Amino acid sequence: MSIESFIEKFSFAIEVEPAKLDADTDFKSLDIWDSLNTLSVIAMADADFNVALSGQDVESSRTIGDLWQIVEAKSRQS
Amino acid sequence: MKALSGIAVRAVAAAVPTDIARTQDYEYLTPEERHRFQKATGIASRRIVLDGQCASDLCIAAARNVLDHLDWPPASVGALILITQTGDQPVPATSIVIQEKLGLPQSCVAFDVNLGCSSYPYGLAIIGSMMQSLGISRALLLIGDVSSRVCAKHDKSSWPLFGDAGSATALELDDRAPPIHLDLMSDGSGKDAIIIPGGGLASKRPPPDDGAVQLEAGADGTLRRPDNLILRGADIFSFAISKVPPSIRRAMDAGGRTSSEIDFLVLHQANKMINDTIAKKLGFSAEKVPTSIEHYGNTSSASIPVTLCTNPDLFGETRTVAVSGFGVGLSWGSAVLQLPANSVLACVESNATY
Repeated sequence: MSIESFIEKFSFAIEVEPAKLDADTDFKSLDIWDSLNTLSVIAMADADFNVALSGQDVESSRTIGDLWQIVEAKSRQS
Repeated sequence: MKALSGIAVRAVAAAVPTDIARTQDYEYLTPEERHRFQKATGIASRRIVLDGQCASDLCIAAARNVLDHLDWPPASVGALILITQTGDQPVPATSIVIQEKLGLPQSCVAFDVNLGCSSYPYGLAIIGSMMQSLGISRALLLIGDVSSRVCAKHDKSSWPLFGDAGSATALELDDRAPPIHLDLMSDGSGKDAIIIPGGGLASKRPPPDDGAVQLEAGADGTLRRPDNLILRGADIFSFAISKVPPSIRRAMDAGGRTSSEIDFLVLHQANKMINDTIAKKLGFSAEKVPTSIEHYGNTSSASIPVTLCTNPDLFGETRTVAVSGFGVGLSWGSAVLQLPANSVLACVESNATY
């Protein structure tokens, strides 16, 4: 799994064009971002990467790249 | 965990108040947010108690329904357990007050249990094992909450989710009853995911009185009273989709069953996205997973009986169901049990106070 595929899944989860996002996107400052998107991203990490992200994982990440690092680290553990 | 043997469910009933709160009318969300909230959670409306109605009232309405349906004299009931986190008063236990209001005999065992969303599997385990070991032939398991009375109305993370409801399940000793397979779990490290921090002794705060209650801003910036409920939805979501499917699988495995041998999967109704994910992981198609969340929201402890009673037509014949409750604690559990034909009564409306 690569960060490119993570960004793509992330964009589907929050219903935004993949081209509008990259690793440096500060996702919580997107206009459409709200707490329901947090749930969508957690569901996506579970379904597509078999990783259990916590609310805190999403909260503590600023960019999509930050979150990808957590997903990568957690997927190595499992 | 050993199976529970010789315990038959005879009837399940649920009661809700008549007052309807619609997601589309919730003034603290914009119309667009309301639409999005309803789509993601599945909640279109909820029932909210009028001032003065308690969890006990809703549970009594449901209990009277099962007693009438079964034609059980109150004197024949040997145990009454109420599971709630919104009891009528801190002391004494609400179940004891209900014993008198239902006209149950003094020989009836009565006590409360403090659990939330995991109440149904836990309740079956507690009451069933007491009946079996103490030889109590008939018992009532009452489960209900009036969550609207502990959530701040402007709290977007809790108020639009919860509905009020009470339920009653009548159980009887019966050597021919098939075993009930259980899986019961706890994880106190997640205690802050759903919590009412104030009002108890650990908080060292006096109980609110005189209206002189201090509002405090939570991590999310929402002002709440210390005795308001705080819900961290993302953490519950993550917990539910990772921990609940294995629990249901363990309960099914204990009875040697696969999902294809289960007629219906009845889940706690917290959020449509959670339940869709759980059902998918276990291989249950949507038509085998009845819901009530669209009409009644998250009815907390009562959600499993409320979901059964929202769909009574599915239970015209004997059904094997897997049930799973999960949330506050963290506490979660699953049970696989048989519901006899026509044992699930339609939800009743009640604004009665007893």
